[in-house]
Amino acid sequence: MRLPVSLKGVRTIAVLELRQRLRTSRWPVVLGIWFLIIGAVAGLTWWAVHDQPGDRGATLYDVVLFFVLGLGMLVVPSLTATSINGDRERGVLATLQTTLLTSADIVVGKLVAAWAISLAFLLAASPFLVWAWVAGGVEVGRVLLALAVLVFVLAVVCALGLMFSTLTARTISSAVLTYLTVAALTFGTVIAFLLSIPIMETQQSVRVKALPDSWYQEHQPTEGNSFVEPTAADCVFVTREQPIIHTERTWWLLALNPFVVVADAAPSRKPLTYLGFEPLQMISDGARTARMGPTPPMSDPLNECLFASQPNPGEGDGFEQQQQVQRERLSRVHAVWPYGLVFLGVIGAGSAMVAVRRLRTPIRRLPRGTRIA
Amino acid sequence: MDAVAGIEVTGVRRAFGSVLAVDHIDLQARPGEVTALIGPNGAGKTTLLLMLATLLAPDEGSIRIAGIDPVTAPREVRAQIGWMPDGFGTWDALTVREVLETVGAAYRMAPVPARARAAELLELVHLGDLADRPARVLSRGQKQRLGLARALVHHPSVLLLDEPASGLDPRSRIELRDILRQLAACGATLLVSSHILTELQEIADRAVIVAGGRSVATQDLSSDSGPGVGGHRVSQWRVASLDQPRLMAALAHHGVPTRLLADAVDVAVAGDLAASELLAVLVGDGIPITAFAPSYGALETAYLAATEDRK
Repeated sequence: MRLPVSLKGVRTIAVLELRQRLRTSRWPVVLGIWFLIIGAVAGLTWWAVHDQPGDRGATLYDVVLFFVLGLGMLVVPSLTATSINGDRERGVLATLQTTLLTSADIVVGKLVAAWAISLAFLLAASPFLVWAWVAGGVEVGRVLLALAVLVFVLAVVCALGLMFSTLTARTISSAVLTYLTVAALTFGTVIAFLLSIPIMETQQSVRVKALPDSWYQEHQPTEGNSFVEPTAADCVFVTREQPIIHTERTWWLLALNPFVVVADAAPSRKPLTYLGFEPLQMISDGARTARMGPTPPMSDPLNECLFASQPNPGEGDGFEQQQQVQRERLSRVHAVWPYGLVFLGVIGAGSAMVAVRRLRTPIRRLPRGTRIA
Repeated sequence: MDAVAGIEVTGVRRAFGSVLAVDHIDLQARPGEVTALIGPNGAGKTTLLLMLATLLAPDEGSIRIAGIDPVTAPREVRAQIGWMPDGFGTWDALTVREVLETVGAAYRMAPVPARARAAELLELVHLGDLADRPARVLSRGQKQRLGLARALVHHPSVLLLDEPASGLDPRSRIELRDILRQLAACGATLLVSSHILTELQEIADRAVIVAGGRSVATQDLSSDSGPGVGGHRVSQWRVASLDQPRLMAALAHHGVPTRLLADAVDVAVAGDLAASELLAVLVGDGIPITAFAPSYGALETAYLAATEDRK
């Protein structure tokens, strides 16, 4: 049994694709613009944070990677979304199909070429990631893992575009479908998650440590008496009906989001009190919080008394303490990104398989509007 | 009958939705011969060629190319066939030479033999001096020649050519004819679709006429087709004269079979030598001859008869 895909066949197609792209299109110009945009974003970010305390490098890294992913999602679909039906239109697909190349050779070759170009975009952005690393505060492991996941996400988007280019006769339709799918993954998942929140809301009785409702009435500032601050000692345990949102049932919607996958793959964890602007970190925290579900677990009483000054000053600020607890919980929660990675992997492999099937000849059933040669 | 070379098509039918492109086509193309596929536009020629080129599966009927079924073993068939589509597109950014080398790689040739073959073919189709120009600057006729070279890269034994002569200048047509005849002489099977009858008559050994998706007639063009004279090859020649009655009388006197046309006479003679002798005799008789040329009336008549009921 012969393998449906061969190294020589894939190389033939990939070389053909890259040669054509390098000669006809304005990729050098697009790459230049891309470099300037990422550069401008990195420069502005640095200008904003250079005199701030904290890990300026981490902020720079997060912002740059966020933009690389965002702009990548705009550029990469255009590499493959009109590939197959565009070749059909120009009458160069059928002449390849009658050679000894298999349909898998053609699909994989085109994917490799598109992926190589998307890596060139990543390479053009790399000086700014290196800058962030030099500025400090970013671990090499974090950089490499996030980059690896990013490269994988770009490959999946390439495969999606290629599949749509085999599904529609007109190039405009496949381009629109590809961008819609990418939008559904990046925005649709977040919107679906937000819309699911009211459905997932249940009323539950919660034990809360709080100031009694009557406290302020009982401690009205009287004449001569100055304003009285409540203390932790004033708080009592009460049981209350409270809406609880079970995001632990719908967190997987967020795991489908490429931004969440890339962000959550970054393993660096900082205390939540850290106030630097790190978009990837925030996305990751959000997704993990959703996965964890309502906090605290029902066994622990909810403490609403944090504003009240601590009776023992040695224990530090109550708010900070609770945040520290939350951070520890988050880091214990299983990561979200492996699920997203598996999901995206299934999408990518599935798209490639559909594309291979659609290129198989001789054709028995010809879809409406499709031409062969 | 399992190892038949050439092309065998039996009862092939193919519909696209409700449109019946090929209704029932029977066809045989033998090795060493050029078979013409002729018919009006929309007769199903291109659809048939797509099926032969392993791109489209027939709904009914069977196809054998070099004895192999293109539906069940497309890969084996592809190694045998060279296909030149109508309206040939090419990778515009590549040079002419790179186009042929890429096709060679697609047929799994190693780079060095592929380069050598590309150079050889560029010489054959007279594109040598354009070899390093981008394919997009080629004229339509030059693109056709590149298309032919493309189809020949892997030394196919069966050639499927869809309108190969369209867009060619007269000189290129003659060269195309010579290339095709030479390939046939080397034992290849050639199936050429066209609607330029005069040209096919020069190139083809037999013609299959298709109309309305059906093969309606097969016309033999090489062997005896008229009233045979002692096993010689009989051909039709068209003679015109300023004095037609005297021409008719002279032909009748020499016992030459004739068919009277409006402004000329078709005569059947046994080969080129007999034709030149007849011309000498007629001139010797003092008949004012204005034209004496091979006639393609036979194919034309068959074609017109076959496609008569076309709306």
